Amino acid sequence: MSHPVTTNPFIIMLINMTIVFGVLIALGLVINLIHMIDPTRKREEKKAEAPAVPEAPAAAPAAEPVAEDGLTPEVVAVITAALASYGYGASQIHAIRPIESTGWKQSGRSLGVERL
Amino acid sequence: MEVFNAFVVSLQAVWMDSGFSAFTMGNFIMILVGLALLYMAIVKEYEPLLLGPIAFGCILANFPRTGFLDPSQMNVMLAIHYGIQNEIFPPLIFLGIGAMTDFGPLLARPSTLLLGAAAQIGVFVALVGAMLLGFNVQEAGAIGIIGGADGPTAIYLSVQMAPHLLGAIAVAAYSYMSLVPLIQPPVMKLLTTQKEREVVMEQLRPVSKFERVCFPIVAAVLISLLLPPIASLLGMLMLGNLFRESGVMDRLSDTAQNSLCNIVTIFLATGTGMTMSAEDFLTPQTLLIILLGLIAFIFGTAGGVIFGKIMCRVSGWKINPLIGSAGVSAVPMAARVSQVVGMKAKPGNYLLMHAMGPNVAGVIGTAVAAGTMLAMLK
Repeated sequence: MSHPVTTNPFIIMLINMTIVFGVLIALGLVINLIHMIDPTRKREEKKAEAPAVPEAPAAAPAAEPVAEDGLTPEVVAVITAALASYGYGASQIHAIRPIESTGWKQSGRSLGVERL
Repeated sequence: MEVFNAFVVSLQAVWMDSGFSAFTMGNFIMILVGLALLYMAIVKEYEPLLLGPIAFGCILANFPRTGFLDPSQMNVMLAIHYGIQNEIFPPLIFLGIGAMTDFGPLLARPSTLLLGAAAQIGVFVALVGAMLLGFNVQEAGAIGIIGGADGPTAIYLSVQMAPHLLGAIAVAAYSYMSLVPLIQPPVMKLLTTQKEREVVMEQLRPVSKFERVCFPIVAAVLISLLLPPIASLLGMLMLGNLFRESGVMDRLSDTAQNSLCNIVTIFLATGTGMTMSAEDFLTPQTLLIILLGLIAFIFGTAGGVIFGKIMCRVSGWKINPLIGSAGVSAVPMAARVSQVVGMKAKPGNYLLMHAMGPNVAGVIGTAVAAGTMLAMLK
């Protein structure tokens, strides 16, 4: 076993915490870089912007909230009732559409990892 | 008479070869410890998949004259011991963890990496405490890593820096990980105000497949080049994650997550229990290690929460400081604690996904801390 660089615990703490922060900050920069150079990002943004244009005139009357295809009137009624119970009115609900949520998936995976 | 003498001599020989003749009070106490751990695993359900085999390994290790670890005679226990002593099992466990981990929350909000780094303060506070209590620098480093709340990393570091303390360190690490829901909330509440606990965080942005696939590759390259001593740990973690995120290696991902991970868990946990022989475990050092482990957990939680408070102010009250406590790893228990404490402060405030960012950052942070200690102290 080789000799340690130092045996002063406070210096060890200082150096190690600096390195841990440095490495994780570098990793954060790399994550941001990956996001910036992501070639699929612009395509996704365009897709997201595209339906916004035809929706604009529909929003003008503001009387009829828009529900996505596949949502039954019962589901829309339940969601509306739930929102109403939190104090939101019909004038504040412009559209109801399913969003991609990984929360339940994540919870399931969490259960799987728990034993480790 | 001759028959009687032969009978007596045979009985004596059997007795002298039996474990009873060499059974000590230390063995008896350690078997009781093993039974207590089994009780915690089976009745209380504290980390049963780990504590169960650890406890049974502890009982097996205290049967005298089994020759389990006799290097002149290969047997299954020696093979398992070999896997631990030569750092084979922890990287394989990391392969499974990588295949189960969703780095999405971290990729969506990379700033939470800082919380994973801040929570490592517990590791180094325990290191300082251990050195002040008379442990040498390598032992102190191995004890400190308990604060990382990451079992495989704790075993990986202990084997290299203080193999004689492996049993105590592994048991302390896994025991405190199962006690995270009891240890963390008082610290979190003590360090935060009601207003801070009620902060609602914005929904995370969607993360593209490109980012999910690139991250494990780039992270493995970056960290392995920076800290070669942990290349096997981080490399396997990222390989497992690549299996999962690539979308074309589902069979490998499934094996890594389930069959392989379960098999290696059996070997790793039983082998860890096998290190808990009376002569190694029944020492005053064990009590000190258990105390230092608790200190490490408390300071790690405090470090994450305090840094969370700083980020809360800097971000204009967009970050709930409670997610900082998840930076101690203990995936996903610590993230769940953030969620529970947040929900108690403000019903309907879901912090789980936000806390998963610092939680997985904590896994990387602990491995990095282990790597720097190996580079500096070994």
